[in-house]
Amino acid sequence: MSDDLKADSAFDFHGPALDDIFDTYKDLRGQCPVGHSSKHGGFWYLMNSEDIFAAEQAPDTFSVAPSMLLPPFATDVPLIPIDIDPPEHTDYRRILLPLFTPKAVAKLDEGMHRTARELATEVAANKVVNASEMFARPMPTIIFSRLAGFPETDWPKFDRWVDDIIYERTVDPERAWKAGQEVMDYFDDLLKSRVDEEPRDDLIGELLAAEIKGRKLTHEELLSFCYLLFVAGLDTTAWAIRSSLWYLAQHPEAQARLREDPDLIPAAAEEFLRTLSPVQAMARTCKKDTVVSGQEIKEGDRLVLVFGAGNRDPEIYDAPDEIVLDRENNRHLAFGGGIHRCLGSNLGRQEVVVALEEFLNVVGEFSLANPNEQWHGVGPLTLQIGA
Amino acid sequence: MYVISVDPARCQGHARCVVFAPDVFDIDDEGYSFVQPERGTCAQLSEDVQLAIANCPERAISATDDDSKLE
Repeated sequence: MSDDLKADSAFDFHGPALDDIFDTYKDLRGQCPVGHSSKHGGFWYLMNSEDIFAAEQAPDTFSVAPSMLLPPFATDVPLIPIDIDPPEHTDYRRILLPLFTPKAVAKLDEGMHRTARELATEVAANKVVNASEMFARPMPTIIFSRLAGFPETDWPKFDRWVDDIIYERTVDPERAWKAGQEVMDYFDDLLKSRVDEEPRDDLIGELLAAEIKGRKLTHEELLSFCYLLFVAGLDTTAWAIRSSLWYLAQHPEAQARLREDPDLIPAAAEEFLRTLSPVQAMARTCKKDTVVSGQEIKEGDRLVLVFGAGNRDPEIYDAPDEIVLDRENNRHLAFGGGIHRCLGSNLGRQEVVVALEEFLNVVGEFSLANPNEQWHGVGPLTLQIGA
Repeated sequence: MYVISVDPARCQGHARCVVFAPDVFDIDDEGYSFVQPERGTCAQLSEDVQLAIANCPERAISATDDDSKLE
């Protein structure tokens, strides 16, 4: 398809477009693995797993500037490290990576189980319950905020900020940017209050102590790190837990199987991440003219790696749209790949696994009370508990 | 004889290998995977190692059938 002949589609990966996005992926993949959308200022979309993988391995061709988010997360500040290219990216990432290794995450395991069990117990006391509000959202907020050092008294403010920044940015950008500024102001104050305090053993403490080539991080760098941790650490995991429960609510046989064999939960969690991933797509900017699956892409063009489509690529997966709880080969793209793969993947995975373990252990058989509630987002998930 | 190795230039620390084959792989303090000492060679590839290879998101693990080691 040459540039002047390109047929613009209205492909989008936000809001109501997510309702039937898996059908959209199928349709678009059938037409062309690389296409162009007129949304969000115009972008190329990559649907094939192999193309996405290759693009992620080529940061010299595909830059994350000005932002990996399209549209951005309600701020002009480049978020560290996701909106930063090498070589600066390498130093920033080196600070965070050791904090999210499996061993570091394992230390949180007991607290994770305790929190999940407490929340699940409250859920189980109801007949009809919003499991998003009472379980899927608070669990990651509590776990991550404790780890990061976001004070508990501030937690009630977080959900609205997340909703406004992440979900309103395509609906009501003004509201999103206002919330973005509030979050920046919040971390500005929090960081200033921490500078004179005794060092503490949390992510903010690690960042305050961190050095790059013998220098401390600047206040602006710290602010950017905190903003990213906030928008990345709370919402994605809540979505993953909610969407897993959404599926299980409609599949009593899957609930029964995981209750009988909890050792299967980690594999099942991978499968939910593959098929119902919180991050359906991330953006890049082309730095030099290139060709992807026969399509020319010009320097300066924006493109979007559609992880959600790659995760259902029939070239890679048998029965790609089927949720196979014990799928063995599951090299999915839910956390991205290459130098920008999600730093919190080990933490996020463990939270989803523990959430499902405790929920299934504590809450009786549950079903979807409102069939209109969608698979995506962090909105209400109304469950009927018991027969 | 198979020689198992992790390409440090490709590994991004997803740690999937450690989940599938914890006896063979480990994660260093920087967050990257490595093959544990004395675990890098085997006569046959175990199912665990095959799963680790198949599930590595960066395709960073290789197992080469290295006959030269036998000579």
